Order: sequence, then structure tokens, then C-alpha cells
Amino acid sequence: MSKKVLNVEDDVDITTFVSTVVEENGYIPIVAKDGEEGMRKVREERPDLIILDILMPRESGIKMYHELKMDPSLKDIPVVMLSAVSKRTFLRSQTALTEFGDETVPEPQAYLEKPVEPGDLAEIVKKILG
Amino acid sequence: MKITKMLFVSEFEKLWFDALQSLMGLRKAGLNHVVFLHVIDRDKVAMRRGTGYLKQEERKLREIADIRFIDWAETLFEEGMEVGAHIAIGNTVPKILSVAEYEGVDLIVTARRRRGKLEELYAGSETSDLLRRAVRPVLIYNYLSQSGKVGENPFERILLALDWSLSSERVLDYALALEGAAKRVEIIHVLSEKEIAGLSKMEAHKLERESKKRLDDVSDMLAREGIDVRPHLYIGNIEQQIEKGASEHRATMIVLGTKRRSIWKEKWSGSVSHALANKAELPVLVIPAEIK
Repeated sequence: MSKKVLNVEDDVDITTFVSTVVEENGYIPIVAKDGEEGMRKVREERPDLIILDILMPRESGIKMYHELKMDPSLKDIPVVMLSAVSKRTFLRSQTALTEFGDETVPEPQAYLEKPVEPGDLAEIVKKILG
Repeated sequence: MKITKMLFVSEFEKLWFDALQSLMGLRKAGLNHVVFLHVIDRDKVAMRRGTGYLKQEERKLREIADIRFIDWAETLFEEGMEVGAHIAIGNTVPKILSVAEYEGVDLIVTARRRRGKLEELYAGSETSDLLRRAVRPVLIYNYLSQSGKVGENPFERILLALDWSLSSERVLDYALALEGAAKRVEIIHVLSEKEIAGLSKMEAHKLERESKKRLDDVSDMLAREGIDVRPHLYIGNIEQQIEKGASEHRATMIVLGTKRRSIWKEKWSGSVSHALANKAELPVLVIPAEIK
């Protein structure tokens, strides 16, 4: 059975781009348009990989990533960040969240800054999912 | 009542990032989530004879807004805030209201909005339109210094204008929700010229005493919550006296309630909150009687 890749992204053009890359490489794309819907889909679909944007309505990728990594049943799902927000900001924000008493969360499997080439995205996905 | 989520509406020319930063004192009141909204005016990308819909222009404007928001968001994310963003095309007021509803924000922050003179004559300003339709508190943000750049926190010394209506109760609830964000609170009640016209001297004194007593009761209630508060009673034209009180006590913001009424009722009987939001030099926070 093909592996499932959840793409959490609010930009329709990028959602289409990621879904096409995922599908062309033999995986099943699932989409969510913000962090809230993303968490719901994670629990319902149990994806094998999450491709996660950061700046989104309702719930950001930063909060969603933190929630994923703090949940023992979800923390092992690999995450690829795909955003125009810099990696430095992402790491600092995760540190800022841990200042409120949470444990430190691990770094994501990969961090891709937009725009990304289809080949680069496909390579990362294949490397993680095999 | 809590102030945890704020919608910050920016057209970039009118509200800059420093305006947002000046509101970060609200973190003391529980603010932890900022949602940006930029509305691209439909006219900027609308169909033109010969060129059709300006798709390229829309892309460019979206890209510009996106780059600005990412820069702003990076700063807030690094401070541990939660950030979201919307870029929409259409009419500003309906978009503000729909995004505020979708995100469930506790406060809308926007610059003063005007229309063309003729349009304002029959439809009023966009600010009035927003205040009439909003079911959430709206802060009409004005820069405190004329040069535009501010470092001042508008919530530092707030002036609460009370008229003892239901919306005044909401104003007090909001003041309590501000917790440590406001360093000093001035409360003002204005006895209007209409109220005292025709009263005997004795009756006027009685009304004055009753109003002072109510102000004192409210002050005591706020003081018990640890708020540094001063009551003031003014007499005269309500709008003018509120502005005068704000100026005399060096307030950084005016806070007052508003009732829901139709555009025509507002046009003929006037609305103090709308008039101040449209004209006052200070930022004006307008709180609806029925908050969603």
C-alpha cells in the first residue's frame, strides 16, 4: 500500500505543486489548509510524512510542529518544513515555546525554504519514505 | 473577557510594524496570537477594457504583502507569539469582518478609513461602517506622534468614557481584562448640555452628585482589582469634553462603547463613538454593547 503524505499549506498553488510531486513519486497526497485542520487530519489519517508550511491562518506550522512533537503518539511522524520563514526563526520560535516549561523538541527531518524545485522536494520525500 | 487574539489590518501605507509593536503591551493581558490581514482593493486589479482582469498585478500585490508579513511574523514568532496571515481581494470592511469571524479574534486593529467625499455623504466613512457592523472591539489606531513613528504604548494611560449604558458595562469588563497592560485609567462621565438644560440649580446639583457617586463606585471597583484609576466629571458637548478630558489627563487612548444602530439613525441622531473614531487625534477603542 502506498504511503500517505500530508501537506499542510494555505496557498492553493503550492498545495497543487506539492500534491503533484507527491503523486508522481507514487505516494498518496492528503491536504489541509491550516494547522488546526492539519492536526485533525494527522489523527484521522496517520500520514507517513508531513510537509508543513509555517505562516497560515488559524494555527501556524510552528504551533502545529510543537503539538506534534509533544504528543507521544505522533512525535515519530517525520516532518519536512516548507516555508518562506527562515529556519533560524523556526528554531528560535521552538526555543521560545519551550521557555514556558515544555521540553525541547527535536529539529525537523528537513527544512526547505520556498521556492523549492520539484526535484529537490521529491528527493527529500523519497529519502525519508524510501 | 480575554484579549488573546488580535486582528491587525494593514494597508502598509497607514499602519507599520512599529504600530503593532506598540501594542505588544497587551501580552500582559494575555495576547498571544496576532493575525495579519491585508486587503487588496478590488479596483486595483479589476477588469480593464482591453487588458481584462489584472492577474499579474494581483500576483505582484500578493507577493509584496506576503514578503512584508513574513518579515513581521519572523519577529513575533521569535518572541514566542503565534502568528497567522490573510491576504484578500475585495471590499475592506466585509473582508475585515469575515476574517475576524473566521479567526475568532478578540480585538480588531485598523487605521482610520475614509471614502470619497460624495460617497461619505450618503454612506458615511468606512470606519463608521466597520464600527456599525462589528461585534468585536475595534481599535482605530492613530499614531500618537504626528511624525508617524511611535514607541508609545496606546494602552499605557487609557481614558474610559462612560455613559452608564450596557456598552459602558462592556467597557468596564474590557478595562478589567486589560490587567497589567494599562498603567493608569482615567474614567470620565460627561453630563450633556441637553441633560442639564431646564433643570433648576438644585436639580442640577443633585444630578452632579449622583454622577460623581457612580464614578466613585466604578473607581473603587477598578481600584479593588489593582488598577490605578482617577474619576472625572465633565459638563458640555460630549464629544468635545471627552477629547478635552483625554488631553488634560494626557491619555494615550480613548475607550468607549457603542450601540448597534442603522446608518440612518446614526446619521440623524449622531454617534459619539463614531464621531471620535473618525476625528480624534488619539487612538480610539470602540466596544460594542453585544460582544461576540
